[in-house]
Amino acid sequence: MGEYALFYILFAPFLGALGLIFVSNRQPLLVRSIAAGSAFISLIASIYLFYAYDPVKGGFQFIQRIEWSRQLGISLHLGVDGIGTPLVLASTILLFAGIFVSWHIKDRAKEFYIWLLILAAATIGVFMSLDLFFLYFFYEMSVIPMYLLLGMWGSHTKKYLEMTDSEGMKLRDSVGFIFNFGSNSKEYAAMKLVLFLSAFAVAALMGILLIYKYSGLNTFDILVLREHANLMNIPVLGTTLDKIIWILVFFGFASIAPLWPMHSWSPVGHAAAPAATSMLHAGVLMKLGHFSIIRVAFEILPETTRELMPIAAVLCMFSIIYGGFVAFYAKDTKYVIGYSSSSHMGYVFLGMAALNYISLSGAVIYMFAHAMATGMLFAMAGWVYDQTHTRDIPSLGGLSNKMPFISACFIVGCMASIGMPGTVNFIAEIMIIVGSWDKYPLQVIVAMLGIVLTLAYLFKMMRGLFYGPMNQKYGHAHDAVSTVDRLPLLIMITVSIGFGIFPMHLYDVVRSGVDPLVVRITEVVPVAQSGSEEGVQHAVGHSKIPLTSPIIVDEVAATSLQISGGERE
Amino acid sequence: MIFSLNLSFSDLLLLLPEILLTCWLCLVITVDFVSPRLPKEQLAYLSVAGLVLTLGCLAWFDVAHVSGALFGNMFVLDRMAIFFKVFILGATILVILSSVEYVNRFTLFRGEYYVLVVMSAIGMMFMASANDLLSVFVSLEFSTLGFYVLVSYLREDMASNEAGLKFFILGVFAAGLFAYGISLVYGETGQLVFSEMSSAQATPGLIIGFLLIFAALGFKIGAVPFHSWIPDTYHGAPTPVTAFLSIAPKGAALVILLRIFLVALASFKPVWVYLLVAVSIVSMTYGNIVAIAQRNIKRLLAYSGIAQIGNVLIGLAAGTKMGSDAILFYLLAYLFANIGAFAVVIAVSHAIGRDEIEDYRGLNRRSPFLAFAMLLFLLSLAGVPPLAGFIGKLYIFVAAIKEGLYTLITVGLINIVISMYYYLIVVKQMYINEPIDPSPIRISGPMKAVIYVGLAGTLVIGIYPQPFTDWVVDATLMFSNFLTPSATAVPSPVHVGG
Repeated sequence: MGEYALFYILFAPFLGALGLIFVSNRQPLLVRSIAAGSAFISLIASIYLFYAYDPVKGGFQFIQRIEWSRQLGISLHLGVDGIGTPLVLASTILLFAGIFVSWHIKDRAKEFYIWLLILAAATIGVFMSLDLFFLYFFYEMSVIPMYLLLGMWGSHTKKYLEMTDSEGMKLRDSVGFIFNFGSNSKEYAAMKLVLFLSAFAVAALMGILLIYKYSGLNTFDILVLREHANLMNIPVLGTTLDKIIWILVFFGFASIAPLWPMHSWSPVGHAAAPAATSMLHAGVLMKLGHFSIIRVAFEILPETTRELMPIAAVLCMFSIIYGGFVAFYAKDTKYVIGYSSSSHMGYVFLGMAALNYISLSGAVIYMFAHAMATGMLFAMAGWVYDQTHTRDIPSLGGLSNKMPFISACFIVGCMASIGMPGTVNFIAEIMIIVGSWDKYPLQVIVAMLGIVLTLAYLFKMMRGLFYGPMNQKYGHAHDAVSTVDRLPLLIMITVSIGFGIFPMHLYDVVRSGVDPLVVRITEVVPVAQSGSEEGVQHAVGHSKIPLTSPIIVDEVAATSLQISGGERE
Repeated sequence: MIFSLNLSFSDLLLLLPEILLTCWLCLVITVDFVSPRLPKEQLAYLSVAGLVLTLGCLAWFDVAHVSGALFGNMFVLDRMAIFFKVFILGATILVILSSVEYVNRFTLFRGEYYVLVVMSAIGMMFMASANDLLSVFVSLEFSTLGFYVLVSYLREDMASNEAGLKFFILGVFAAGLFAYGISLVYGETGQLVFSEMSSAQATPGLIIGFLLIFAALGFKIGAVPFHSWIPDTYHGAPTPVTAFLSIAPKGAALVILLRIFLVALASFKPVWVYLLVAVSIVSMTYGNIVAIAQRNIKRLLAYSGIAQIGNVLIGLAAGTKMGSDAILFYLLAYLFANIGAFAVVIAVSHAIGRDEIEDYRGLNRRSPFLAFAMLLFLLSLAGVPPLAGFIGKLYIFVAAIKEGLYTLITVGLINIVISMYYYLIVVKQMYINEPIDPSPIRISGPMKAVIYVGLAGTLVIGIYPQPFTDWVVDATLMFSNFLTPSATAVPSPVHVGG
């Protein structure tokens, strides 16, 4: 039963989508219950997965392997480690919450749920793929549902240029402006998203194909490739092959993360998307980038990662500061949250770049934490939009009288986003900052500044939406009163605060995934060392570090364990 | 070369599918002649019955591993021939089913339409078995003859007449090139059978001869320097004929290209790889970029077809057994997606009467089924997982990267992104824009059947490709005799083409 958990998590949404095809749109309740039911199965299975995952044992667990194509060396190889498990959980929580957030969709509700379920299932598929082919397969599969969700149920952004205009200055998204043509339509946002992501995805595919070719193993299996592929020291085009592959894979996947300067599709897409889609998009879709980099670049090219990861450390500063400032000046609720997400994803890159136990664990926990926080914010921005049909912050105000529950939740969302103690974001942020300080002090200072900026723009938005004089035009707006409307927010708040207070299991799980990876990267592990696929992890992962010790003590302990990762000639 | 014309029964067995279909064709003509009042759709179903019977016969061949050669190796029945015959018959069945409704637009000769379609199919079945330049020529012209008539079947429509004329003039020109090429090759080698040319020396006459033959076949598949007839002919021809033209002759010409490049010219691979790389890059890029500017769905599919052929040529340029596997697999994926897409075009134009892309506005509201089917077909053509087209493209890329064709793969990958744009433009019209006239679209039974088959093929091949890859790997086993794993260098490569 339990060993098939990944199948339940992955295929429940797919089967739900399939089942919905045969249901008529004239039975809205049946449509919603099928969607919610399949998401619920997935959620329950992933909660089981999260608690049944054994952090002491570590490594990849719940492995399922089905031969898929002998000729191409592809198998549907599923399995989760300590990094995938929390992200799978985050995906299913956001999917379940997203279905309730979009409970009131009237127009073509059936199609909406079909695409939402496919989007979530594809995302989940990436988090559990142990085969490069299927990783790409699910990754690319998640893009097209986004197009339809944005295009069909999204909303136009009105007067985008004026909104980001402050005191006559054209504070446009300068890099994003390359393809921006001044267009604010949802069609434009959707097309931009698909073309950007596909363009970068094919770069990653090229990297994957190069790994396939030069490993000479005739397989796409990550576990085999990371043990047996020898891609080092092959001279190509004046550099070495592993660097080319790494660059292709890194930038290919970093576009969805979105790392500056490849971010410009993202806020536009967030703004156009319906609430549930924004939640999934910002909550989990963006993490596909980090996760795929970890899975492909970190696992298969550890030495190159150690050498080239400073690229991410440089770019993440721009991500953090740039996203923060644009969010500060933006006057559209979803732009603020969208840019804030893209800024916060810079922290994850910082944590990844520092490459030690603490910072990388922090990065993974941050992905989970950010999914909850940004999910809340998007859900509430969606609620406000549904009530007032505007996202223009200056025209809103004083809504706290009309919607006390939403405004209270919004404060919690802001707190979580900022990283208040008591939320899981705090743990993640502190780990990233503490972990990265030795190696990248400048970036840490920038990240601190980013936190201050986050505080500034979120409070500014909160004041603009909920306090101050009320615009009488929106007198009809009302609060989320029914259980269906409150449930998604309550779930996300509970998870965020729950893990903030009791982070031990989450932390153990993440550490069990991160430790072997960091050992692999910071120590020179001879390639093709032993036959056993999990041998390396078991041998080195858990002997040194007690996993279930208090966090802060452990942090100090582990930081000293960092093996000269900081020195680069 | 000795011709033995005393055919035994077992020899005739190899020709059974063709003989069966020819007899059936005569039956269809006779039925049409003796009972003129019979509704014409009965003729369609009668033809389909014959085609299915032939398919059954081929399935038996496939299971019983029937193979052999006839007429001094002019006609071979190997695994690949069986594959392509099944492919062509499948395409023909789908095209006939999607014509049932459309045929009412023709003012005259409605019964003969089916006869001509089946006749072309017989010609292409012979092409699949042709192992000799002469039999290639004869069967190629035989199948094209039917198409000349079919393309201009809408007698009152100027566009259809123009399409027919253009196709005819360029087709005859290509035939002339082909014949001249054959004469040069024969003059240089004294051989007509492919497998016996493999030891030929690279003389200028031979090179020019094969270039001419390649040009003629390039005309059939619509690769770029020879593509100029494609958009106008696709646009003007009756849509089911366009669907037929877009898939079956390409398959039939590709089997010949495979036999020429991988058997007859196997030892010249280091030379022709440049030619194929150049043609492939130009085809993909030109097809995709020009497709962006199209306003008519048939023209869009025409240009996308040019680009798809560019993709197929990547597999040919790989020049390995795996490359040919990938081509066969790609063609399967392309068959379902392309015929499916044209079936939707036929269904929509039956209701609206026009084929412009803007007529697809709000198709999702008018017919969710048609819009969803079209979405999947277009995405499969674009190469989006989990659809068949994605696996096809990946298969081709994997085959090519094993041969180190990095430039080609890079261009191919970039082209996926370009193509995504114009396919999504159609998706946008169907899903995002609101319809001007929201009346629902009715779909006839046979049309629905074609679309269901297309959907099933597109999804099943994409999600569970193993049986299909097994099939194509089995179908191209013959090439492993001619292809050594690492193609050895030719002593003095003469540079041709790119």
